[in-house]
Amino acid sequence: MISADPHILNCTDKLILPGVGAFGDGMRNLVKRGLVEALNQIVLEDGKPILGICLGAQLMCMESEEFGSHEGLGWVAARIVKLSPTDRRLRVPHVGWNDLVRRQSSILFDGLTDDSLFYYVHSYAIDVLDPEICVGECNYGQNFCAAFERDNIYAVQFHPEKSQREGLTMLGNFLNKA
Amino acid sequence: MRKRLITVLTFNDGVLFRTKQFEPDYRYTHNFVDAWSVDEIVVLDVTRPNQGKKQNFFKVVREFAGTCFVPLAAGGGIRTMEDVKQFLELGADKVVLNTGAIQRPEFIGEVARAYGSQCVVLSMDARNTGSEMYEICSDLGAVPTGMTPEEWARQAEAEGAGEIMVASIDRDGSLQGYDLDLCRRVAEAVNLPVLISGGAGNWRHFVEGFQVGGASAVCTSNIYHFTETSIRSAKKALADADIPVRI
Repeated sequence: MISADPHILNCTDKLILPGVGAFGDGMRNLVKRGLVEALNQIVLEDGKPILGICLGAQLMCMESEEFGSHEGLGWVAARIVKLSPTDRRLRVPHVGWNDLVRRQSSILFDGLTDDSLFYYVHSYAIDVLDPEICVGECNYGQNFCAAFERDNIYAVQFHPEKSQREGLTMLGNFLNKA
Repeated sequence: MRKRLITVLTFNDGVLFRTKQFEPDYRYTHNFVDAWSVDEIVVLDVTRPNQGKKQNFFKVVREFAGTCFVPLAAGGGIRTMEDVKQFLELGADKVVLNTGAIQRPEFIGEVARAYGSQCVVLSMDARNTGSEMYEICSDLGAVPTGMTPEEWARQAEAEGAGEIMVASIDRDGSLQGYDLDLCRRVAEAVNLPVLISGGAGNWRHFVEGFQVGGASAVCTSNIYHFTETSIRSAKKALADADIPVRI
């Protein structure tokens, strides 16, 4: 079910926060639709499981340097920085299939092998300030956090919904086990 | 990061065709089945103006979006934000801009600001005009623009395009291999991922596209490259040549 209505969100068991586009616009839209307070309540106080995908994952962080300085939802100690590989052969945006290197266990990884690939498409990446929350990393010129988790909050930089079998398995894990 | 093998499908009034130098050449009669080894799919509407119904292509986009769980890009005749919205609502992840962007380069920026750069693939068609010169042509390769691939690619990058797809009009359907010089010029002109298209006939061509052309992804429209065994065989050839691919 797709909804931007806080009342409906309140009645669901789990949430997915997707997102494509720029951080500033993403936050502006959440604020405009009155979703920030609703999400804080549902996620931080009620403790409902939520999965952030791509921009959705980034919005959960504290701040971003994309097109200026913007504040995020601030749920996790992490910030968003620009991908700036020094190797000229590494193009930005980071587009395509890449690794997910596991750093800690997570229910998201159930049924997946270490060499599972996922589809990434982004120009900005998650830089965790609290290493405890990072469960998976990817390297593209620099290491960045590709998946983080804190209590009921899950987030992935890549697009599981565009990552065929592995992605669908991961989504199933979130829906069934989180 | 793995190099990508992208499947490009061209449709004429909703029917899958292969093209030769951009003219619909041969109609495929069997249905395309979503192969699990494919990295990404691009569907392009190459129907000439007023020679078909847009709805027929919309149906194609909707069907692919519903069955494929890999990124899907759709293009063909995109001129306005409404066109972009239409394709995204049908389920495409990215839109492919060509003539629409040539007519109004700022359109690239408008789409990128609204939906993100990752949503915009700028597709350019180049014709070899002799002695290592190339010219970008619009309108399905018919109208010369006076621009070189490098300058148009740089402009598109500045406007906010996410990826650049370069097609060689001369090589299209030839099975003779990509125009590697063309690919290299664009790859060196921008910092964006470059997708090369036009002319792939065998796996050696894919290897060359990456190693010589500097492409981030190679595209093929040859239907005989689309069976599950075929894609796996192509990827094995790439892996054997030490090119990292998703198997």
